[in-house]
Amino acid sequence: METRPFEPKHLDKWKSNLDSCIRCGYCYEHCPVFKHTRWESDSPRAKLIILYGLLAGKLEPSTYIADKIFSCFHCGRCVAACSSGVPLIEVFTDAKRDFKGTAFEVSGTTSITNSDCAACLTCVRACPHEARDFINGKIVTDTVKCQSCGICIDICPNNAASSCLSYGTNSSALKNEIGNFLEKDTSKAIVFGCNWSYYPDFQSSKMDRAPSEYKILINMCGGRLEKTLILEPLLQNGWGVLVACCPDGDCEHDGNVKAKLHVKALRDLLGQMDINPERLQLVQIKHGDKAGFQKAIDTFMETINKLGPLKQ
Amino acid sequence: MKNIDTSRLKSIVGEENIKTDPADLFIYGSDSSVHSASPWVVARPANTEQVQKIMAYANQDKIPVVTRGSGSGMCGQTVPVKGGITLDMKKMNKILEINPSDVFCRVEPGVVDDDLNQALKPFGVFYPPTPASSRIATIGGEIGNNASGVRSVKYGATRDSVLGLKVVLADGSLVNLGARTRVEATGYQLHKLIVGSEGTLGVVVEATLGFVPIPKFRCLGIANFDQLEDAGKTVADIMGSGIVPSMLELVDNVAIKAVNKTMNLGLPDVQAALLYEADGMVKEAVDYEIEAMQEVCRKNNGFGLVSSYDAEERAKIFLGRKKLFPALSKFSDLLSSTSLADDMAVPYSKMAETARKIHEIAKRNNIIMTAYGHCGSGCMHTKILMEPNRQDQWESAKKAVSEIYEYVRSVNGTTSAEHGIGISKASAFKLEKSDSLNLMSNIKRAFDPNNILNPGKLMDAHDDWVTATDLRYMVA
Repeated sequence: METRPFEPKHLDKWKSNLDSCIRCGYCYEHCPVFKHTRWESDSPRAKLIILYGLLAGKLEPSTYIADKIFSCFHCGRCVAACSSGVPLIEVFTDAKRDFKGTAFEVSGTTSITNSDCAACLTCVRACPHEARDFINGKIVTDTVKCQSCGICIDICPNNAASSCLSYGTNSSALKNEIGNFLEKDTSKAIVFGCNWSYYPDFQSSKMDRAPSEYKILINMCGGRLEKTLILEPLLQNGWGVLVACCPDGDCEHDGNVKAKLHVKALRDLLGQMDINPERLQLVQIKHGDKAGFQKAIDTFMETINKLGPLKQ
Repeated sequence: MKNIDTSRLKSIVGEENIKTDPADLFIYGSDSSVHSASPWVVARPANTEQVQKIMAYANQDKIPVVTRGSGSGMCGQTVPVKGGITLDMKKMNKILEINPSDVFCRVEPGVVDDDLNQALKPFGVFYPPTPASSRIATIGGEIGNNASGVRSVKYGATRDSVLGLKVVLADGSLVNLGARTRVEATGYQLHKLIVGSEGTLGVVVEATLGFVPIPKFRCLGIANFDQLEDAGKTVADIMGSGIVPSMLELVDNVAIKAVNKTMNLGLPDVQAALLYEADGMVKEAVDYEIEAMQEVCRKNNGFGLVSSYDAEERAKIFLGRKKLFPALSKFSDLLSSTSLADDMAVPYSKMAETARKIHEIAKRNNIIMTAYGHCGSGCMHTKILMEPNRQDQWESAKKAVSEIYEYVRSVNGTTSAEHGIGISKASAFKLEKSDSLNLMSNIKRAFDPNNILNPGKLMDAHDDWVTATDLRYMVA
């Protein structure tokens, strides 16, 4: 494919905003990408520094840099936290525009389509960002428009949609995390928390003693949790599963509606299998309600501890 | 990259914990200061043994090593002016022990301040130095800077809470400094020396920290003043009266205007406002201190006095101060908020005069400056709002900074109260401490004979901070 040279045409207008960024770093703690890798160079601040470097001619464009720019879940938490009012998402989107069509363009967290695609167009219809299209007999993703929400990945009947980089949020990564955690004797439960609702409230440090009885795993949306993944902790000797999602009307993908349907169906199934359905619960927590979320977890763990292990 | 055996570093910390791409190095060459200079490699150790091995290698090959927490420093402490290895300590982030009966906790340096306080909360205690950046600041970084914050007026700075440290020295050896006791008179208190040494004497790998009970009652009040001098005199009178506020903050008119302009908070357009807080276990004692502070405010023509114990009401009272930092950043599209001469301390009696002087110097040099800060601990914060792409603005800023520090020295104040020296304040620091610089250099040599630990900082920093490194802005 023919490519064009990289020129920071769209980025140019953000020069003064890049100067306004006081590099306080308050955006870090909110970024799911940083929280996963724990490398400063994956934080929103780092992206701004890179873009400054490109504009100032201190850095050469590369696929390595493009990978960072195209790795963003568009949650907008960094924008809300920014001390200087820098519209980071808009800046990153313009950076993507400048990389698009160059030899450095990558897919990052945006969705891609593999050869199993049946061209049913389900994803094209479902994409809320009009990022998927059917061109010359193929489904293509506009990497600038794509906001890495993952709806296409979830909805594809052929599992033909995916993303190159998931930062621990896809099913296989979550399955690994479940297995690793539940291997420990002290582990009892898995809490699935939606990236959009809860992640900012989790900090980075770890207690060395008194290992937690539960682990909070971040997923892209409660509605994107496959039924098999929700049951996975119980299959791996976990005592219970808590699915946390947004209150009714708060989820822009209606993922909470889907999550509720999934959990209800699975609770019925557990009942039929003579497993107490209380081992699987769903809570809807308002965005930022840290105390409410912790209280819900504590209440759930009380129930789970009363029920004891699944296999007795 | 110069003279670095990255394969050796990879064998110590694992390939996944090494970064050498120019983009990563460029990122790790910045912090919250105006400076920029890239390291040759970034390494992320996971434990003390790895730090020891890295230091032994660096010492043998005389490679500079800069220790980094969250990179939120404001004076360029973690900007590697001589290149070398940047040690990203964020992976050493375990809270190792909370010991309520012996009243200490042990933590690794990458633990985030707010995380520690969250972990301490169930025990009814807190770690008090807490700077404004506590949501991301690491304990290691706070130790490096001797960080402090709004409540340091009552509870002290980081140095006051550090009981002991485990430190990897330049040659890779490990020393245990201090003790797990509240008091110690056993030789030189070297752990106290490490606090505030900005990574020039060793790499902190574990800290033993004291904590204090969370007060049951906390009351916050505000008073407005039509004269800055009246607010300044109030500070001196409160601090000289025997009252121990848990917070005493000054906000000047430039700051108030900035908050009103950018946040539309509708604060009274007065010359100064004072925020005063008292806390304790007995409400009557807190009442007494609040009433006593309000009495001093009234005596000095303070008006619009309001106070509250209610958490929501306190948040409302504090909102103007809380929004000040972002307000200054958003003041104008053309102007950027820079951290220069941003945390000097002066005697209480000179607080108002210092604020006046800052405005006078700013006006004379055609820049905008504001004055605010933890005046209860003598600390005056400023921000310089300037057009960073104009070379003449940097000349003006340099001149203003120099004049401010000259004034600070003339009233027996000090260059930095809580942000440290790094690169930006080195010239002022050298003038202030001229008679002890040689002694400090001797201490540095005793700890680090090959000068590999954060070289080019403090007494070894360039005298002209504008040209000491690349500036992080595109200066025309």
